[in-house]
Formats: sequence, C-alpha cells, structure tokens
Amino acid sequence: MNKQTVISAKHLKKSFGMKENVQIIYSDLNIDIYKEDFTVIMGSSGAGKSTLMYSLSGMDKPDDGEIDFDGTDITKLNSDKLAVFRRRQCGFVFQQIYLIDKMSIMDNVITAGVLTGRNKEDIKNRAKQLFSLVNIPENTWKKTSSQISGGEAQRAGIVRAVINQPNVLFADEPTGALNSANGTAVLDVFSSLHEKGQSIVMVTHDKKSALRGSRILYIKDGKIFGECNLGKFEPDNAERTEAFEKFIAEMGW
Amino acid sequence: MNKTKALVWHNLNKAKGQYISFALIICLTAFIMNIALVLVFQTFAAYDSRFLELDTADINFMIPQFQDDSEIIAGIGEINGVSAAEKHNGIFVCATVREFADSDFDMNTVFYNLDETRTLNLLHVSEYIKKDGNTAYIPMYMKELGGLTEGESITYTIGDTDYNYEIGGIVSEMQYGNYGTGLIGGYLPAAAYEKLADEQSNHVITEYSIRTTDTADLSQIKKDITALLGDKGVTPLNMSDKAAAKQTRTMVCTLLIIIFLALAAIILAVSIFLSSFRIRSTIEDELAQMGVLKAVGYTSKMIIRSATLPYALTGFVSTVLGAFLSYAVLPDVAAILAIQSGFIYTPVFDIAALLIVVIVPTSIIFIFAYISAMKIHKLEPIDAIRGITGKENTGQNILLSVLAVGIMVLLSFAGTLFYNVSAKPDNFMNTLSEESPSVIFKAQNDKMTELKNLLQDESRVKLVLEYSTVSVNYADGSLTAFVCEDFGKVSNDICYEGRSPSDEDEIAVGNALADNYPLGSRIEITSSDKSANYVVTGYIQSVNNGGRVCQLTNEGYEKIGEAMSTVNVYLHDTNAEGFIAEYEDAHSELISSSLNYEQLSENGKKMYAGIVSVVAAALFVVAVLMVLLVLYVIINSMISRRRQEFGIYKAIGYTGRQLTIMTINRFMPVMALSALFSAIAGIWYLPAINHTIFSQIGAIKNHFEVSIWILLVVAIVFIVTAFLISVLLAAPIKKITVYSLLKD
Repeated sequence: MNKQTVISAKHLKKSFGMKENVQIIYSDLNIDIYKEDFTVIMGSSGAGKSTLMYSLSGMDKPDDGEIDFDGTDITKLNSDKLAVFRRRQCGFVFQQIYLIDKMSIMDNVITAGVLTGRNKEDIKNRAKQLFSLVNIPENTWKKTSSQISGGEAQRAGIVRAVINQPNVLFADEPTGALNSANGTAVLDVFSSLHEKGQSIVMVTHDKKSALRGSRILYIKDGKIFGECNLGKFEPDNAERTEAFEKFIAEMGW
Repeated sequence: MNKTKALVWHNLNKAKGQYISFALIICLTAFIMNIALVLVFQTFAAYDSRFLELDTADINFMIPQFQDDSEIIAGIGEINGVSAAEKHNGIFVCATVREFADSDFDMNTVFYNLDETRTLNLLHVSEYIKKDGNTAYIPMYMKELGGLTEGESITYTIGDTDYNYEIGGIVSEMQYGNYGTGLIGGYLPAAAYEKLADEQSNHVITEYSIRTTDTADLSQIKKDITALLGDKGVTPLNMSDKAAAKQTRTMVCTLLIIIFLALAAIILAVSIFLSSFRIRSTIEDELAQMGVLKAVGYTSKMIIRSATLPYALTGFVSTVLGAFLSYAVLPDVAAILAIQSGFIYTPVFDIAALLIVVIVPTSIIFIFAYISAMKIHKLEPIDAIRGITGKENTGQNILLSVLAVGIMVLLSFAGTLFYNVSAKPDNFMNTLSEESPSVIFKAQNDKMTELKNLLQDESRVKLVLEYSTVSVNYADGSLTAFVCEDFGKVSNDICYEGRSPSDEDEIAVGNALADNYPLGSRIEITSSDKSANYVVTGYIQSVNNGGRVCQLTNEGYEKIGEAMSTVNVYLHDTNAEGFIAEYEDAHSELISSSLNYEQLSENGKKMYAGIVSVVAAALFVVAVLMVLLVLYVIINSMISRRRQEFGIYKAIGYTGRQLTIMTINRFMPVMALSALFSAIAGIWYLPAINHTIFSQIGAIKNHFEVSIWILLVVAIVFIVTAFLISVLLAAPIKKITVYSLLKD
C-alpha cells in the first residue's frame, strides 16, 4: 500500500553562525513524512534532529530548499501566515513542557483551542475527552503546571498539542525531563494517538521512546543516514525490538 | 480580539500587584492632570462668565468730580470701539482697614453708593441685611484674605478719622483686581455713602465705566480717552482694564496650573518608562512561553496585543478613576484659590478635561507599550523557545536613573520652594512683591526732612528711605509709580533688565510695557495736569500690578507731582508695632500716619506659606508614592526572575538578609548616584525651572536661593526613603524556602 506523503522536504540546507564560524547542520537533505506514520528522528547530540524537525514544522526557516506541507510550500510563508498555518496543521510537545505558568492546564488547552475559531464549550468538551484519554483526573484540570507532576504536565502539553486535531504532531524529546514512570505514561499516550491515526514526528535519543515509532530515521553528518520501518508498536513483539536494536547498532549508536 | 481576550486577562491576573501599582501611578497622574485641566477650562471661563453676568465694564477710569463735565461722556461715546458708557460718583481715598488679617492694611479704596442704579459693573451682594448709615459692604477678597465677615465690625481710617461700620454683606464684583492692583472697592448704602461723601467731599470722584465692542482695541481706546481728557486738561486718577484685573486675580491659579501640569507630565513620563520596562521584562522572562504561543498558532500581533492591552486597559480605567476622584478635592482647591482671586466658583464635571485626561495618557502609554513590545514581531518561535530566560533587563537601571532624577527634580523644587517661603521668606516675598520695609511713616506737611533726620539718628533704624507709591498715567492707562530718592538703597531690586532710574529724566517701566518701550526710548507720564517725558533705562517686574508699574526718582516725579511725604523705615531686630506706637506718641507733630508693613508682610508670607506648604507637601507625597510604586514593580520583577538563583544562594548558605542586601545593591547605587547627581545639577537647573514658572505670572527676576545643602538634604532623604522602602519590599525574599525556590 502506497503511503500518503504529508511533508515532502527537498534540498534542505541549514547552518548556524557567520563567515568562518559557519556550522552546517545539514545540506541537500531530502525527507518525506507520511500520513499516519509515527516517525522518529534519532541521532547523536548535535546531529541536527531538532533543527530538522522545527524546519519541517515551520517553526524555523531553512536556509535553502522547499518544504511541501500538505500542498503548501511553507518556506514561502511569512511569520504570521506560518502562525496561522500551524494552528490547524501542527501540534507541538516540548521537552521542557512550556505550559503557561499561572494558567490552569484547562486554560492552557483552551488558549490553543480558541485559535481555530471553535465554540469554547466544544473546545472544553474535547479537552475533557482528551484529558480522560491521557489519564489526567478532573480535579487537576484547574491546577497550574507547578501544582501537578511533570508527567501530568507533559500529558497536558500533549492535550494542548492535539486539541486542534493537527495534521502532524511534533514532539521534541517529550520524555527527556521525566522520570521513567512518567515517561512511559507519556509514551503510552503517543502510542494511543498513533493507534487512532495521528501522524507523529518525534525527535529523541532515547531508545525506549524511539521503539514506539513505526518509522525510524537516523541522522548523521547532516544526512539521513539510515531508515528502518518497524510497523506499529507492539510491546511484546520481540522480533520488532530485535530489528530496532539491530538497526541502531548498524547506525553506530 | 476574542482569541486574545483570554491571554489579556491571564496577563492581568498573573501580575495583579504590578498592574495595581501601575494603575495607582496613572490614577495619580490623572488626578493631578484633571485638577489642572478643570482649572484651565473652568476658572478663566467662570471668571469671564461672571464678568459678563455682572455687566462689568471693559475700561474704568476716575477723575476728580470737580473736573467732570457733560462733554466727557459725549466724547467717550464717539470713540471708535466704545459701545456703552456710564458714570457714577464715588469717594476715592487711601484708607487703612483695621484688623485686616489681624493687622492694619492700607488700601486705595473707592467707596460707592450701593443703592445707586447701575447698568455696568453690577454688584452681587451675598446678603443685604442692613441699609443704615452704619453699614458697609465689603468685596469678597477682604473676606477671603482679610477674614472680615458679615455681622462683624470694620474700621476704615481715612486721614485722622475712624469710620466704624457693621459689615452688612459681601459684594461680588469683577471690576477690580485684588490688593495687588492697588485699588479696591467699598460699598455703602445710600445713607452711609452720603454721610461719608459729606465728610470727604474733596475726595469725591466721577468714575467712568466703558463697554467696548468685541473687536475693539482696548489699548487704542485708552489712548483715545487719555487724549480726550488731556484736551480738557484732565488727568485720570486711575485707569484700569479687564485684562489687568483678570491677570492679577488669576495669578495663583495660573501658577498652580503650571505646577500641576508639570507634575502630571513628570509622573506620566515615569509611568511610561515603567510600562516599557515591565513589557521588556515580560518579554525576556516569558520568552519561551511566547515561543510556545507562536508555535500553537498565535500571530505576533496577537501576542503584542495581549502584552500591551493590559496597560492600555489599566491606563483607561485608572485615568477615569483618577479624573473622577479629583472632583472630591476640586472644591477645596477652588476655595484656596478664592483667597487670592476674591472670586468663588464651583467646579463642575468637565467632559473635555475628562476626555483629555483619559485619551492622552492612555494613548501615550499604549503607543510606548506597543513600541516596547514590537520586538515580539522579530521573535522566531524556535529562538524564543531556545532563548535563555532570566536575562538582565538593561532598561532597569535606566528606568531607575530617570525615576531618581525625575523625583529629585520634584523634591528639589518643593524643597527649594519651601525653604524660600519658610526659612528665607524674604526671597519669596521679594519675588512676588516690591519694597518691604518694616514701617512706613507719612510725614505731616513740611515735616519730611525733620522726620527723616530724627529717624536717621535712631540706633534701631537700619535705613530710612524716601519711598512712595503713587498712581500716574501714560498713553495706555494707569501705572503704579514707585518714587524713591535712591533706588541703589532699596532692599528689593525689582529691576530685571537695564537699571533703575538715577536721574530726573529717567524711568524704569514694568514688564507689561517692555514690548512697546525699548530701552532708551521715551515715555510720557502724566499726573494731575502735568506731564513729562522720561528715558526708559530699565525694566522692573511687578506681579501684583500686572506689570503696569514704573520707577521714578524723587526729582523725576516732582516734574509732574508734588514732593512725596512718606518714608520707608527699615529696622534692625526691633518690633515694628512697638516702634510705631512709641513714635506716634512721641512725635505726633511729625507723623501723619503710619503703617506696620512688617505685620502686613507677615500676613502675606503666612498666606503664601500656607499655599506653598500644601503644594510642597503634595509634591513630597507624590514623590514618595512614586518611589514606592516603582520600586514595588522593580523588586517584584527581580524576585520573580531570580527565584532559582536565590534558591541556589540559600542552598549554599546565604541568609535571607544577605540576599535582600544583594538585591537592593543591584539598583540602589544607581538610584543614589542619580539622586546626588540631580541634587548637584539642581544648582543649575532649578533657577531655570523657577524662572520658567514664575515668569508666567510676571516675576521675571527670581530671588529664590537654591541652596546646595538643602538639595543634598533632599537627596539624602530621598536615598534613605528609597532604601527603607526597598528593604520593606524585598522582605518576601527572606520568607521563601529553599525548596520552593528550587522547585519553581
């Protein structure tokens, strides 16, 4: 079955610094992201994983190249048009969570929800469903991020990211700041969302997190160094785990 | 807009304390600004309205009744620009009012027949309780400043005769200025008037009241009148116009408006710095959150709106509140002004003032807030998310410097004003008045030299100076002339450009004449039926006479008038009252009348000291409030930004007190240095400020002493106050636990 491409990036180039201090992160990089895939981007520290993900999502602009995101070349959009584009197309989950402090987690979610012009009650109802889905109890909804655990805060962050039913959910090291139990709970949410057909792009250097992906891309020296298709996550599938371990070993992990 | 509403409310809620403090400052700005604007819009308009309501004449002049004839009124009617004219008799005398503000008060007074029918210069009488031969009605000015009131007795001493009356009521009129213009009205029922006119028949005058057309040139009409009278060999005893009266009666009001508007502008400037600082701090503190907002789809405009609207909303609400609150004190302000203006008006709600007070500060705050928030436009979401928070806001120290300098300007002005009114009252009085001797003696006929010689031999006397104040005329109306034997000896040199006259052909003229009479030009002065030409050698100031004054030497005046018979006596540290009593007893053959000018001057000082103390206290309260509110914003912002840093310091053993001192040390040196700099710079800028403010009311030459010691004391008080407030505001640092700091 042919997969439907949701993002197609061609000849991407990105560098930091000026003149003699220029550091090329990637150059002439081509990548496709497919609908309903759980794409994991792996690589060593400084390989440019996050930089690539933020370029693909329109959060950052590449120096060169094209990014066709569901029919729109987002490299041609200005800052405000990109913001409007992200409302419907993208959801973001960050390592540091970044819920707005002193605002309840429910209000954090509504703050993102209202941008699509929907009725506030509809947003609230969907937020409640999502909070239930990610196992955040009702008595927590009015609490602020500093009043709940890191795992709960990150799951609330996921709810905020998917409240507008984005085309692609982007996650940057979503378990990086969490303990093991909270990390697992968050990954379960990702798997659950993927199960329901959500396209996900996740950057991680954590094997446990990467194993949740259906497609693993390994970045090295500014190129897609390798790719591995694992299919949907099955926790007890030893063969899948073995294939993943073999892949990352080949990549030099 | 709906999409950002939640963010706006969140921002307001998140920093409630800071917005409340910001609101208080803006509320204060609006409060002061509204008082000034209501005074601007209503006092002068109320004055004009009262002027019209009482059909007040535009020009009034007096001539001795025996010189009046029917051709004069006919001639006036033919002058271009005169629309109506009428004449009345009056009694023009120099009277001493006893117990005026607990002193004796010499006034040129015109007594009128209250029962005479008038079409111009109508009189509004507060109460009309008695109309017998022993009743007098006094102008409101005498009630407000002199403390004389209905039902009490009043004694006018004219020559050697005391005239005792019961005060029947208070008359509101707009014809005269106040004491400052040197002429005031007295109003007697027909019976009392006739009695006085019989006894003072040689002082009966005819007063002409003239109404002009709207487009008439008052100056030209006065010239035409002077020419008309000149043809008949008549010199007016006094000629006044509505502009001079208005200027004199609204002098303190004008001064207050200037001070209030300047104060509001300074507070507004600090508020703008404060809001800009807060927005820049917010952007730096919440960089990541702004990045997240951009990530989820908020546009830069929406984020900027959410950052700036809380300030605009706070500005709007607090300016409305401040404007309305000001109406609680406006009646009291109007009452204070009535002491000097002699006319009472009731402030009413003013929509124009409200609109300006609300729109101007709110728009300025919004514009500056918007400019400060513009950097959000350039913020790439990923840069924002990756941005390092907790970066030092470079605007903080600039803000505090500006604040310290701004507040020090206020305090230095208030301190200097207070110092020159309380500790060096002569400086203040010399700025606002003319010569201030201890005693003024009027000599008996031909006894001037004898009296002067006697006084000069007196050890208690520092100086004796022949000095008189008389009324003369020039082409454009009347002038108050200061006639002196030697202007080099006067205690208050009011000449601000050129020099005082030293020769019989020389004259120095008041600031009102400066534009028309350049130095070196000639001016014709008349008195009675004589006139002479003088060369203008200098310009003198006079707040009280609206600048319509001149200086002549004794010899110069004697070309047009009789030799003067009054002397100013300047005493060493001797009680003037006792001195007068002793001399009146021992030398009654030499002294015709005497005036305790020291007492008079004291009363004036008390009145101005009262007003200035209120202004100085208000400035001090405003300054302390501003320090409190701004430091609250700064310290709160610092505490919230450095919570983790404080946690680390506490974890490694720093005490709460050490952290408090560390926090205060981040800004206190800047504030202290700025305050000291401002204090020292005050030596240069305060004279300029004083000159700018006081020249608006005609006091071009300022006698204020700007003491560096006072400025340094003010700076030290400011620094200590700021330090104590800072210690108080930084107290929460001590209460925060290490765990809570690190957890956040």
